[in-house]
Amino acid sequence: MSGIYDLVKRYPWLPSLKTYYSDIASKNPLDFINEIFTSDKVEELKAKVLTVFNDALNNIEQLSEYELDEFNIFVYLLLKIILYILNNKVVSNRIANIYSKTTYNELNKENEYNLYYIYQDLNLEILFEEKPTIYKKLIVKEQKEIFKTNFKISYLDYLKLASNLKDEYRKLVNNAVLQGYVYIKPENINRLLQEYVRMKFLTQNGEISAELDKFKEKLFEIQEFKSFYDTIIAIWESKKEEFEYMIDISFKEGKDISETFPPCIKEILSKAQEGQNLIHTERLFILWFLNSLKYPEDKIINVFSTLPDFDREQTAYQVKYAMKKGYTPYSCKSLKSYNLCLAKEYKDKLCLEGYFSRLQDVQKDISHPLKYIEVKQYRGSKKLKKTENQP
Amino acid sequence: MKTFEYLKRRFKEYYKDNRDKIPLVSLFNQREFGFIPWDRQIRMIRHMGFANRENLIQHLINNGPRHVYSSGSLYLNPENQDMKNKGYQGCDFIIDIDVDHFYTPCKEDHDIWYCKECGKNGKGMVEKCPKCGKLKLKKLNWICEECLKAAKKEIIKLIYDFLIPDFNIDIEKIKITFSGHRGYHLKIEDNDLRALSSDERREIIDFITGEGISFEILGLRKMGDNIFGFSAETIGWAQKISRRIEEILKMSSIEIETLLSDKRKFNLNQNFIENFLNYKNNFLNIIKSNNMNNWTLVSSNLNAWYNFLGPIVKQIGIEVDEPVSIDIHRLIRYPGSLHGQTGFKVQELLFDEIETFNPLNEQVEKLDPIVFVSKVQTIQKLEIIESNVPATKIKGETFGPYKLGDKIEVPHHIAVFLLCKGVAKSI
Repeated sequence: MSGIYDLVKRYPWLPSLKTYYSDIASKNPLDFINEIFTSDKVEELKAKVLTVFNDALNNIEQLSEYELDEFNIFVYLLLKIILYILNNKVVSNRIANIYSKTTYNELNKENEYNLYYIYQDLNLEILFEEKPTIYKKLIVKEQKEIFKTNFKISYLDYLKLASNLKDEYRKLVNNAVLQGYVYIKPENINRLLQEYVRMKFLTQNGEISAELDKFKEKLFEIQEFKSFYDTIIAIWESKKEEFEYMIDISFKEGKDISETFPPCIKEILSKAQEGQNLIHTERLFILWFLNSLKYPEDKIINVFSTLPDFDREQTAYQVKYAMKKGYTPYSCKSLKSYNLCLAKEYKDKLCLEGYFSRLQDVQKDISHPLKYIEVKQYRGSKKLKKTENQP
Repeated sequence: MKTFEYLKRRFKEYYKDNRDKIPLVSLFNQREFGFIPWDRQIRMIRHMGFANRENLIQHLINNGPRHVYSSGSLYLNPENQDMKNKGYQGCDFIIDIDVDHFYTPCKEDHDIWYCKECGKNGKGMVEKCPKCGKLKLKKLNWICEECLKAAKKEIIKLIYDFLIPDFNIDIEKIKITFSGHRGYHLKIEDNDLRALSSDERREIIDFITGEGISFEILGLRKMGDNIFGFSAETIGWAQKISRRIEEILKMSSIEIETLLSDKRKFNLNQNFIENFLNYKNNFLNIIKSNNMNNWTLVSSNLNAWYNFLGPIVKQIGIEVDEPVSIDIHRLIRYPGSLHGQTGFKVQELLFDEIETFNPLNEQVEKLDPIVFVSKVQTIQKLEIIESNVPATKIKGETFGPYKLGDKIEVPHHIAVFLLCKGVAKSI
């Protein structure tokens, strides 16, 4: 069992950082940078931060170095400052992803007492019960899988952590809710904390503002920091090509058909382009969808290339497998059940009202995203004919 | 216009006569108020705030608005025109149950629609014209005891099947009102819930409605030719579904057949229904058991189970008007005010009053939403201006149905109702 003082070293994103390390955490960022870049720790710290950047930009799944010492606090704070001034969504997403994933793995190694302290520090209403509760039972033939836990979290805190994850496993409706609590295993709470930590790196990234430029200018007056920042930029410059594949959706008979895509697809493509993480169902959907439109393999792979956990080899394998199997993309009904339908949000008339079938003389619903494209293309070709016929 | 002037006068009188009975909502001066006047040119006047109840009542007496609303949200500056500068402090958790949003058989009798595009008309609940598919429908939605009972049933289900057992909501924090038309509003006044974001509110609503449920995650799976179902020991929706299946299995064979053959509720093939009936006792033993869950005896087709379980979820879940709960800047009807489409009072109800409450024939005077009943029997002459007007049963008496041009004599409260509905004019 560790005290919260030690836990903060391992997990510097804990609120108690400000209590136990107020001398570091409450410092003005300029003073912080000034101090550490003139201290004897600087070389070691720079090396550790560079490792994080290299790991993140080299598609490594987990940080190769994660020392649970006081350095960890400095690394965390320095990373946040660098990402803030870098203001690059792709890099931020990658760092956030690898750091949070490592955190998740570390949390899973903790004993229940430490976890309880961590949850308490985050002010989460999580109860530990001596006697575990069976909250789920799966029986398949003679095999029984029994899910039990000593932990339960207030549904309000659960929602704070889980509502951003559009993952159907995290949806409240698919979880064990009783008397105001969600029965949950610690590794599942830790998965939610992974997202919490991920967001810690992303929330500060806003638009480029005069304030940011001014801050940057001040920081760059510290020569040592400026040259370190330049090193990071150089790493990014050397890698950026790998992440800046254009999401080329202009396939099929050489025409750009992206305009004919339904809102559900447009949204996923735009998220991918920004380097945001896509949930499993979104990945499957976009893969099957593009495959149905006979997009070439390399173009499909490139769509995934901006994702924080992109692995070209693995993606290529999965894309090939899906192409071989020829899965059909989700129907509108399935998309609705996965919360991926955005017809209402986009106020898309075709999705909402359907189309008129002259052949059958009836108004028909759009029941599949591929039908949506077909109708859009048909309408487009009609429009084109009309324009061509005009004198 | 004459009709509106008349109704406005009646509404003003109501507010004047009942000035001490209009309730005060909690944290009154942090609420934004909105009004829809009788003047058709003005849609809604909002971003208003009142320092105290007396000022609001005076506003109601002076203006006699058609509809009165206040925010579920709390603001530091409720009067600020810009939502960003209002100083948002949180929002009550509001659930709106309105029969407009779900099917009741009585709608086949009293809800009339007309397609402005192709001219087709009919009765019942339609979202778009069944002939041309267009959304441009003119609808005349009516009320009856049956549909209001259905809405009340949903509110009771919401409280006893979800809010208390799942979310442990304190009864003292629940406020219920009859909306004055086709439904009920439930408001939870709790500081923790007030802090929820729209996304978090959506998750609660999805839980209450069963939206986004994954039968696979709950335990349904196909292994070879076998289907393995849920365990009743799995806390949450799996338990709710298991209980509902158990209830169905305990019904008589005729009742089960009628239920499962109802195409409005289920879309099951005959084979599934027959097996369900043939093996109902065996299946009941499996459902009740903690150690068995092989459901193959009814069907080994996963899709058939989806077709069965989907409607079961719909039956268990609550029919709510989702955007009302998710949108934190919505305004809802102010308790004690009048509904401009009926002339009925928006009636606050205590938790133990809801079970016996009957809005169209309430016996307890202080709870009666029909406020325009004259002590002295007064008859008003009206002319019907709508092609078809369904029958109206209020206070145990039925009036109508009527046709365009009918000249009728009705009691005062029925006259106010028909005038508010816009289907008649004074003569």
